[in-house]
Amino acid sequence: MATAELSKSAAQARKHWDRKWIPYVLLAPALITIFVIILSPLVTTIAYSFSNIDLIRDRTTFIGLDNYIELFSSRLFWKALEVNLKFAAIVVTVPTLIGLCFALLLVENFIGRSIGRTLLILPWALPWIVVGLLWNWLVNAQFGALNGLLYTLGLIDKYIPFMADEDLALVFTALASAWRQTSFSAILLLAALQTIPEDLYDAAKVDGAGMRARFRFITFAWLRPTLTIVLLYNVVLGFLQFDAVWIMTQGGPGDATMLISVLLYRYTFINFDLGMGAAVSNVLGLITMGVGLIFVRLIYRSQGTYA
Amino acid sequence: MSVIRGGLHSGIVRKIATYLAFCCLLFWVGFPVYYMLITSIMHPHELGAKPPHWIPPEPTADNYREVIIGKSGEGGGYGSTTEFTRMMPALLNSTFVSVTVVLLNLLIGGMAAYAFSRFSFRLSRAAYFGILMTRVLPALSLIVPLFVILRKLKLVNTLGALILTYTIFILPLTIWILREYFDTLARDIEEMALIDGATRWQAFRMVVAPLAVPGIIAVGVMSFMEAWSEFFFALTLTNSLTYPPLLMSFRNLHQVNWNALAAATTLGVLPPVIVAFVFQRYLVRGLSEGAVKG
Repeated sequence: MATAELSKSAAQARKHWDRKWIPYVLLAPALITIFVIILSPLVTTIAYSFSNIDLIRDRTTFIGLDNYIELFSSRLFWKALEVNLKFAAIVVTVPTLIGLCFALLLVENFIGRSIGRTLLILPWALPWIVVGLLWNWLVNAQFGALNGLLYTLGLIDKYIPFMADEDLALVFTALASAWRQTSFSAILLLAALQTIPEDLYDAAKVDGAGMRARFRFITFAWLRPTLTIVLLYNVVLGFLQFDAVWIMTQGGPGDATMLISVLLYRYTFINFDLGMGAAVSNVLGLITMGVGLIFVRLIYRSQGTYA
Repeated sequence: MSVIRGGLHSGIVRKIATYLAFCCLLFWVGFPVYYMLITSIMHPHELGAKPPHWIPPEPTADNYREVIIGKSGEGGGYGSTTEFTRMMPALLNSTFVSVTVVLLNLLIGGMAAYAFSRFSFRLSRAAYFGILMTRVLPALSLIVPLFVILRKLKLVNTLGALILTYTIFILPLTIWILREYFDTLARDIEEMALIDGATRWQAFRMVVAPLAVPGIIAVGVMSFMEAWSEFFFALTLTNSLTYPPLLMSFRNLHQVNWNALAAATTLGVLPPVIVAFVFQRYLVRGLSEGAVKG
């Protein structure tokens, strides 16, 4: 590559300009802070998960795998895992599908497109905690907008306490997360759609490809790497969401919306069982990293096919 | 450009489908936000009306006044009087934290990105990979040891704790995006400047920085949004000093003045929404670059 050669010859010319220590000085603040604030807590969390931490007597004892054994034999953990898998299923599918529809819409030429594109950003610009509040107002049993809408349309004559129902509570907390994530997914997909060269479609049409064929072999093929990334982000959110669920239900009713992250919060900040909290953290971290790695592999494979 | 162009037989059908989909988009995005906005300008006694007033008959600014002055307005007996006095300070704190995080993040992240982009040195690949890996860690899971460290640094319940943690958690993304920008930018021009006798700093300031402005804006905007929105650390490391955890504490009050809460929420989302709209173009670019490459 031309730039590589250029930089090679120039690199020799400027050799004496480069002091060996410059990159280390430039990197020091980032590396030191990342080490102190992220890596050392990470190591500590792993160590905590093998310990029993007695906060009152300020004593830490090594107990091996006991926390994990207790966790995996507790009903609560499996319940949280089940809830979380259902939650993640909604958070993965809904934003990906609706986001794809919105992206396909907003790449069309029509009056209102720029308004649509601007509005699309709005949910993404809202903090998760606000998203949770908005959806609280939607599903509230006394004055919720959804109840109001159904009532105005004459579909119900009594307001429904949506969040008192275990299944509906899970669906609506997941939809709240899906709502904001839809915008994020659509933004990414729209950006990818805009890079498709127009003449691909023209060429396909000349070759007699129908609408379906063009969508499948051009649009979809082009979007595949971005779709994979969108899926990855949605899966990770499905397992790491906390804010919006916490403000909506705090895990309730019962344990109906108790995600693993909520379980982590309960162990750590309500039971003050730091060892168990750390064990949950590590399990959660392993789940998300495992899912992440699977997707990264998929991305590389799809890049291999198309690049 | 149209992706599924010309497949439908008549243009009319296509147009109708497009506008139907557009209406769905407007409803999907607009309905929850619209309900918050009308709630914020309603009198509390109107809230439970059946059917709801979709257009408030007597709009009022009382709720906003209540939040801004920190007093309970109509009725007065909503039990949230003292909490609301914390709203304006929290918004100020959020602003201070977010702006500081943007500046620190650009400075530290920019330096690191430049080092990765322009120098080859021992362990650079390992360090780069290590920094990027931290992006997959759930921040949630580090909270306990983080709390212990920050207590040792005497930073618990200070804005410093938030500035420090937010800056560091956004750093990997910043380094990633800025490095990509620096990599593609005018390396040859910069080296000519070096050969002509400019110092590295001069070459950076005169050649690289101006060309990297879109990337710098994108990263700045994204770190602003992150810092403004962050909830979990603010909840656990401070006593609701910033806007998001304070919203949560309103929510937990026994008797909530929902209308004032809607007003407080609206006020608090103005900064990120305005920033997002103004910098829309940079934001979309930064988001997709950060996501696709990260």
